[in-house]
Amino acid sequence: MSRVAFLALLVLSLSGFAVGKRPPPPQILGLRLGMSYNQAHARLNEIGQFKSEDEGQQVWTLSQDKQYQYLIIGFDRDRAVRYITVLARPDGQPVNYTDVGNLADAARSGGEGNLRYTWKANDKKGHFEYLAIAKGKDSRHLNHYSIKRLGVANDEDERD
Amino acid sequence: MGPTVSALLPDNAIPSNLKLRLLVLVALSCTLVFPAFASTPSSGTLTPANGSSTTWAGSGIAGATTDETTCVDGTDCDVFTITLTGAPSNYQGLVLFIKITHSNSLNDYDFYVHKGDLSGPVIASATAGIPETSESAVIDPTVSGTGVYTVHVVDSTVAPGDPYSGVATITTPPTDSVAHGTAPTYANYQSPPGLGDSSGEPSIGANFNSGRIMTQAVFDTLQVTFNTSTSPATATWLLKDGPNTDITTLDPILFTDSQTGRTVVSQLFGTTSLSAFTDNDGATYTVSQGGGIASGVDHQTVGGGPFRLCTADQLIATPVPCAQLAARGPLTQYPHAFYYASQDIGDAEMALSQDGGLTYEAAHPMYTLVECGGLHGHIKVGKSGIVYVPNKSCGSTQGLIVSMDNGITFTVEPVTTSTSGTSDPSVGVGAKGRVYFGYIGGDGHPHITVSDDQGRSWHYDLDVGVPFAIRNAVFPEVVAGDNDRASYFFLGTPSAGDATGADTGAPFNGVWHGYVATTYDGGRNWFTVDATPTDAVQLGVICTQGTTCPNGTRNLLDFNDITVDKVGRVFTAYTDGCITAACIAKGNNATASHTRLDNDQATKATIIRQSTGKGLFKSYDSTPLRP
Repeated sequence: MSRVAFLALLVLSLSGFAVGKRPPPPQILGLRLGMSYNQAHARLNEIGQFKSEDEGQQVWTLSQDKQYQYLIIGFDRDRAVRYITVLARPDGQPVNYTDVGNLADAARSGGEGNLRYTWKANDKKGHFEYLAIAKGKDSRHLNHYSIKRLGVANDEDERD
Repeated sequence: MGPTVSALLPDNAIPSNLKLRLLVLVALSCTLVFPAFASTPSSGTLTPANGSSTTWAGSGIAGATTDETTCVDGTDCDVFTITLTGAPSNYQGLVLFIKITHSNSLNDYDFYVHKGDLSGPVIASATAGIPETSESAVIDPTVSGTGVYTVHVVDSTVAPGDPYSGVATITTPPTDSVAHGTAPTYANYQSPPGLGDSSGEPSIGANFNSGRIMTQAVFDTLQVTFNTSTSPATATWLLKDGPNTDITTLDPILFTDSQTGRTVVSQLFGTTSLSAFTDNDGATYTVSQGGGIASGVDHQTVGGGPFRLCTADQLIATPVPCAQLAARGPLTQYPHAFYYASQDIGDAEMALSQDGGLTYEAAHPMYTLVECGGLHGHIKVGKSGIVYVPNKSCGSTQGLIVSMDNGITFTVEPVTTSTSGTSDPSVGVGAKGRVYFGYIGGDGHPHITVSDDQGRSWHYDLDVGVPFAIRNAVFPEVVAGDNDRASYFFLGTPSAGDATGADTGAPFNGVWHGYVATTYDGGRNWFTVDATPTDAVQLGVICTQGTTCPNGTRNLLDFNDITVDKVGRVFTAYTDGCITAACIAKGNNATASHTRLDNDQATKATIIRQSTGKGLFKSYDSTPLRP
């Protein structure tokens, strides 16, 4: 093996290791937790079409994405992104749980039919804690993937 | 007996839940492919002529089963097929009348009429209870069409030796189309000063064992005892807060499992719920896990009832799926299931408790926001263990989420006769499985519709506000007793306009009362009664736009509740927003102003108690209710 090839392999393996150890990032498809409503909408209009809205939560259809069919986004009282959920495309490219994060770092709950991996992480840049949650019906492929800021009030909370 | 699917496939070839579905599919296929056990003869043909008739004799089945979903053909149910010739228009002015008769009034046959074969929608049913010697139903072929109808006759409770005989006739329609009998009456009981003073969105439950009523709103869990040694009865209210549910939190919920007497109290708190249960109407509590959803919950609900388990006949007919159901049955001495449901982030989920509400499993997804709105109404569980959750917006209609496997999988059934609305709808489930779905339609009117096939088809959609010219309604709440009996509570006003908005323009002017509509004939006809005739519940707007509602428009919060006691007497819990003499007087003065500026904005706990009239259980009709 040439020295260049060896170094390339080393870099790749190290970067892969680093990615594997990092928690899932606080963003999905270019949408980031804490992003403003206008910024989020600019990005959403690039990747999909608005479908419906319920209690401040919006459903968008993703037209081009090979893995995800729908994106659901919720905003907080300050109109910043509170959570993002993507729903896997039933006939699309499957997404493994391991594609979104290192399972060894996640809390696992449920079982077949309601399997869930949850990562808790801290975004130092945005100074907030967040959860990343992958849910699925089988042990390999997820059906839903969500990221959610912790400690923010949402429109549909505090109904009383 | 041939090999089962699990024998044909190695254990590791398919996941166990997939295996379960395959087995259920095979079981269902068997019921569709193999002929159902038939009567004699097995079929008849009718023409569009007054008097065209066919008769048949039952197959001599005997047994007992809860409803159509729990019977096994040839064991405790059989079928007769009717074919109507000609076009629907040929039946103008005619109906199909179906009747079965038997001899022993202590036996109880029921029947369900499917359009097409047994997999078709149930378009009519006859499910009265003991005592009876006949059941009948009327079908309008100009609405339901011609072709094949399948009459599925079910032994509700039938001892051997009393076979039924059936007749189907083309005849002229019955002339009566109004509710018969006397309308019920109601009395109001307001909580005493200092109790129930902040009682938005109350829940209510009846303990059949103690006879007491339990109710909970924002701050207080209250035990109410009615002293019936005097008439009218007097009420004693006692504060019975749970150890972890008496703090100010978000959504409060109370559910009483009437049969066992266990009451669960729950308060939304952060990303989970605080919860406890009591078996003695609040004297002592056991703190529980709270829920089964751990990531961002809202608008939680708790409900419960029998587990979905196979009957003895089903165990013989389909042992493997039955074993799978049994695995989600009770794990302790407590015989019933509890369910906790809430919306999560982008979906709504439900978790089962198999130990009487002490702990809950990890939740299963019910639906995503792609299918329905996130917020939903309250859980109801039928006698055969089918779980229902209503939703005000599933596409362009309201929806019913149904689980027939103790909360593993869910089906979203559109309520096809409805339009989506802004108040959470409510479900009542009759003793033999009839579903009553009360909702406020897009027109603002109080509707109720009926399904005899777990929400797959709907009939008798009626606007029960018509007798009072109700133009706006909120907070539909339904309870059922016998299969043919149900009560529907709602707040309504005859005033038109934007009665449920943010009231940002000219203030809405209207007087709201509490109405109870009751059916004794399966939802064909309803008695609607103004249960607060001289004391308005609210003046002005009742905003249903959640936390976006301005101050002074949402004092009642989001819902009320209704229940029934052991003898069939109906109770409702509501928040009274108009309690001072001045406010009440304005409500009774037709020419006065009735805007939110005239309202008290109060949140006072109040119970409506049925005083007279028939209750929801026929077996108690011989003992008339006393005020």
